[in-house]
Amino acid sequence: MKRPRGSLVLSLVMFACAVIYLYPLILVVINSMKSFSEIMTNVVALPSRLSGANFVNAFTLMSYPNLFLNTLLVTFIGTTGVVLLASTAGYKLSRTRSRYSWIMFLLCVAPMMIPFQSFMIALVKVARTLHVTKTIWGLGIIYWGLGVPLSLFMYHGFVKTVPRELDDCAFIDGCRPLRAFFQVIFPLLQPVTVSVIVINAMWMWNDFLLPLLILSGAKKSMTLQLAAYNFFGQYKIEWQNAMAGVLLTITPAIIFYLVLQRHIIKGMVAGAVKG
Amino acid sequence: MGPARRRARIARGLEFFGMTAPALIAILLFVEIPFLMSVTFSFTKWNGLDKAVKFIGLANYRELLMSDPAAGHAMIFTLLFTVLTVVSTNVISLLFAVILDARIRGRNVLRAAFYIPNIISLIIIGYAWRFIFSRGFDSFSALTHMRIFQLSWLGDSRLAFFSVAMVSVWQSIGFYMVIYIAGLQTVPREQLEAAVIDGTGPVDRFFRITLPLIMPSVTVAVFYSLSNALKTFDVIFSLTFGGPGTATTSIALDIYKTAFSDSRFGYGTAKSVVLFLLIFAVTVFQLSAFKRREVES
Repeated sequence: MKRPRGSLVLSLVMFACAVIYLYPLILVVINSMKSFSEIMTNVVALPSRLSGANFVNAFTLMSYPNLFLNTLLVTFIGTTGVVLLASTAGYKLSRTRSRYSWIMFLLCVAPMMIPFQSFMIALVKVARTLHVTKTIWGLGIIYWGLGVPLSLFMYHGFVKTVPRELDDCAFIDGCRPLRAFFQVIFPLLQPVTVSVIVINAMWMWNDFLLPLLILSGAKKSMTLQLAAYNFFGQYKIEWQNAMAGVLLTITPAIIFYLVLQRHIIKGMVAGAVKG
Repeated sequence: MGPARRRARIARGLEFFGMTAPALIAILLFVEIPFLMSVTFSFTKWNGLDKAVKFIGLANYRELLMSDPAAGHAMIFTLLFTVLTVVSTNVISLLFAVILDARIRGRNVLRAAFYIPNIISLIIIGYAWRFIFSRGFDSFSALTHMRIFQLSWLGDSRLAFFSVAMVSVWQSIGFYMVIYIAGLQTVPREQLEAAVIDGTGPVDRFFRITLPLIMPSVTVAVFYSLSNALKTFDVIFSLTFGGPGTATTSIALDIYKTAFSDSRFGYGTAKSVVLFLLIFAVTVFQLSAFKRREVES
């Protein structure tokens, strides 16, 4: 395969662009290993010695393990719920041709047009009434309602490409409907399921506003993003610990991305194009 | 109808509701009911804590239109911010996509690199950039003596507008680039090769052949960048908290402050209903305008 001339130059230019583009993040990494006085004298210079002290500080100051587990739990509860609710309903609504089914489908996907900020105030009130504020579980459950519309829409579209004969055999075998669904149909929906997991997990892991509204005032149950806000909101920022804190907060997402890169990009595109 | 058939019918109905009701209940509880409540509360005076909710008709909307300069400012800021970020995000990411769609060395690494800011939460992005704008720029200016690094990028109200916009664009380019790359991959190579034989230059080729063919991707990318810009919140929250003064307060942040700092929940819901109408009108208009172009091409 012959590459056109000039492609090497273009590639070098783009690599230079990429380094400049990511330079702010590179600076975060460099400065997370420096002492406070080193940061105050020169941000650009490399650290004089490799030290993990800032990470230890940030780790304990933020009580990182607790936050990590909380965020993981929210993401897990939220994503699992969305997958289960959206796949069953998306499948059933796609297969049932009746007026009720159509109305239900519209009711389920219309919220894609409602921006979160336009109902968040009343959502806090509903959440208080249902006693789902200030708990990790509650936060995860609220994500079901917010995440299902887009995911259901994606399942609904994909189910049309699965031949109907397959569910006939599944259901005639005399299995209970839910069991038949999860044993026969659900595995066939895997491509959407991967996209749905990626979109929802990345969103819930990184989300800030909903945790801020639902968990505020609960010291024990905070997410990483929320703790980062408290950590930086202090009057005098200790930059060295803050930068280590930034790095600790973003590392899980970066690892998730590097491991599942292909799926993540495909999932994001699928979510955007189908949504 | 025999009893067996009736039983089968009931079983089918139960199965239908068993599989669809949980999803609908979650959506009703956490999206649709709160949304309808927002619309209702927007006609009331309510501080969020009291049980007392007082119906005051259109007074909230009247206040919003007539006597709330802060809200007016947030509206102007959001619209300018939207125009600037939507245009620059889409132009830059389309340019990157075209380059990284070509057969250049290391394009997969490059695509991955430009995508990285997009997987980091905006709240963290804001804090990282606060460090760059303060400590980082101090060092840059000591090293290069360039005036651009001596300006107060977060402290000056006009500059802060551009700082916030720049960081938003920086964070989102990767996402839109990926959408455009997916679109470019659907452009048939033969058509481009035929144009090369006809002697069409690369720029003409892009505007005459490629761009019309990827209009569906443009529609999607502009739609998302529009609605994200109109409801922007996180990055401003962590980068400037709407300051200096109220210079970078977006509509979403203004809603948040009205409800949760000033405890004016009723008035906050009125603002949020207006935000909904704004986003709805803008995106519907954009979709219909862009879809028409898709058909033409």
